[in-house]
Amino acid sequence: MNCDLVLVGLNHRTAGVDVRERFALVNHCSADSWAVPCEGAISEAMILSTCNRVELLAAGHGDMAEQMLTDWAHTCKAPVEDLRPYVYIYKGAEAVRHLFTVASSLDSMVLGEPQILGQLKTAYRKAAACHTTGLILNRLLHKAFSVAKRVRTETAVASSAVSISYAAVELAKRIFGDMPSHRAMLLGAGEMAELAATHLLQAGIAEILVANRTLARGQELARQFNGRAIAFESIAAHLVDVDIIIASTGSPEPVIRARDIRSVLKARKNRPMFFIDIAVPRDIDPDVNGLDNVYLYDIDDLKEVVEENLASRRDEAQKAAEIVNEEVGHFEQWVQGLDMQPTIVDIIQRGEHMAEEELARTLKRLGPVSDEVREALDVMAKALVRKMNHDPIIFLKEGTGSHEGSASRISLMRRIFNLDSGTCSRATPREKG
Amino acid sequence: MISPELSTLLTLCLYGAASLAGISGMMLRSVVLRKTGCWLAGFGFLVQTLMLALGFHSTLPEGLSLGAYLQMLAWFVLLCGLISRLRYRQEATLILSAPLALILFIMSAPYLAAVVKIPPQLSAPFYTLHIGALFLSLGLLTLAFAAGCIFLFLEGRIKNKQAMKGFWQDMPALSLLDRINAFAVMTTFPLYTLGIVAGLVWAKPVFGATFNGDPKEVISLVVWLLLAALFHNRLTRGWRGRKPARLAVIIFGLCLFSIIVVNTFMETHHAFIRG
Repeated sequence: MNCDLVLVGLNHRTAGVDVRERFALVNHCSADSWAVPCEGAISEAMILSTCNRVELLAAGHGDMAEQMLTDWAHTCKAPVEDLRPYVYIYKGAEAVRHLFTVASSLDSMVLGEPQILGQLKTAYRKAAACHTTGLILNRLLHKAFSVAKRVRTETAVASSAVSISYAAVELAKRIFGDMPSHRAMLLGAGEMAELAATHLLQAGIAEILVANRTLARGQELARQFNGRAIAFESIAAHLVDVDIIIASTGSPEPVIRARDIRSVLKARKNRPMFFIDIAVPRDIDPDVNGLDNVYLYDIDDLKEVVEENLASRRDEAQKAAEIVNEEVGHFEQWVQGLDMQPTIVDIIQRGEHMAEEELARTLKRLGPVSDEVREALDVMAKALVRKMNHDPIIFLKEGTGSHEGSASRISLMRRIFNLDSGTCSRATPREKG
Repeated sequence: MISPELSTLLTLCLYGAASLAGISGMMLRSVVLRKTGCWLAGFGFLVQTLMLALGFHSTLPEGLSLGAYLQMLAWFVLLCGLISRLRYRQEATLILSAPLALILFIMSAPYLAAVVKIPPQLSAPFYTLHIGALFLSLGLLTLAFAAGCIFLFLEGRIKNKQAMKGFWQDMPALSLLDRINAFAVMTTFPLYTLGIVAGLVWAKPVFGATFNGDPKEVISLVVWLLLAALFHNRLTRGWRGRKPARLAVIIFGLCLFSIIVVNTFMETHHAFIRG
């Protein structure tokens, strides 16, 4: 790729949380404090700073990587040597590939998680507001967003739950479908149970009841979920009304037994019940799963679901990598097309200039002619030049498939058309010498 | 110019394409293919409706052939699939209706020519009511069968903690499948009863007795008893889930046996082929 594009960064794989904290640039990517000034070798720049990664992306010419590292370390008030061991540097097509991989969440700690795309969009918006992005980064970032969308639509890399609490809620949806007409009950107040309750609320569950041995704690949780606290002793009475039960008490004995559920089911007219047992030792008698219309998942079952989902995401990541490769190729072609633009403009301008010169000479020889004749000659001369230039321009554009092909064709055309002799109005500085 | 042969071929092609697109869409998890399958099934249904409206089923009502009977059944199956799509916004049952209709259509081909002329006394209003009500109830029973099958497979996977990979991820929720099954059973039973009663009333003047011990009558009675049990248990004992799904599948199997085996190969006054 002829365009100089550099990505410098560190992430959860290359640096521990202490290093990531030290070199975070969350507060240095706004107009008031911009960590990578667009000066020297850098003409465009963008900063992505999240809890798992800090990445600086720049377009320009020259040794941008060194300038970026120096600016970054300087902003964080640290010697550049402290930063260097944790940093990776990607240039050209590799930088593009890395950005597309990050945007598609293939480089995230949890493969396929959706937050990174939003974070990347925010980072781009901030850079655009600071006027540090231009033609290359604008195009690159929009392309990254579309690649991420393509990966999400064409692969299942983000389709299944990879956290225990979310997997439990996904299962509940498979059983009940619509959540707004169902109610849930929390038994105990474990962290994972709270997370599952949060997901259920997000899915639109009608109501959450909280039963805790300490009523005050139960009331506190109920407030948090806009629910209702009930006495721990009244669980059995409320089982008739709830469809999803999330258990995470510290009880050494099962809190709910199969024989209790039989009568509850009769009273519920066999409406299905889903028990999520996150407690160890288990709160719900495993025999409950043997009853009709009752489903029980314990912590190991849910872990297994998450493992299977993760494995399926890893399989899908292979397909996603192929999409990323394909899109990197498209972006490379676009950049190489940019390199050709000055040569194409020069060929067209040279032709138009020659046509004007020859037309003036011919008109001088012909003497006074009518406006119609003058116009007809002008049209003919320009059409002739356009047609003669058509094939050479097509030949030039066909070279965008590879860097070598593109450079050699540009050089060849500039020599054939003598574009660098100084007689032409415009020449590409990069191609001179 | 549209002809019976052309419209039959067109319907067959549309049901075939709908089955291919719909099933591939489910397997490959492609929304576009699934939607295409539903639209093609809808178009197939429209073409077959046109066939019926133009009287291309020349064997009905003057005569009766197993072929025409199966084609009519295919139409009712698709009708119920469309009702399920519109009522429950559920593609899966419509997608599964298309291959069922296709199979019924293909099975109908060899039997279209074998027409049994119906005596004039058999074209009474009771006969039309008997056939119409039973056809619609069979279509609804097919819907109960499709929903029941998906329910049993999906419920088995959830109970046994098996992974929901591939097309399983796009299947409807268990509650919805149970609701479809309940709707189909609740509407099938009164219709089936109406069809059977009309048949019994009509049998008295035609065959001399209300119940003749004919194999078709016996199996229909068994189906009615099972349907009654299902209807009763759903309404009064709150049957849900696996039990009614399993029973709906068994009842549908008995109905298929009744149509294919009893009507064709057994000595009955419902036989399609007579020497």
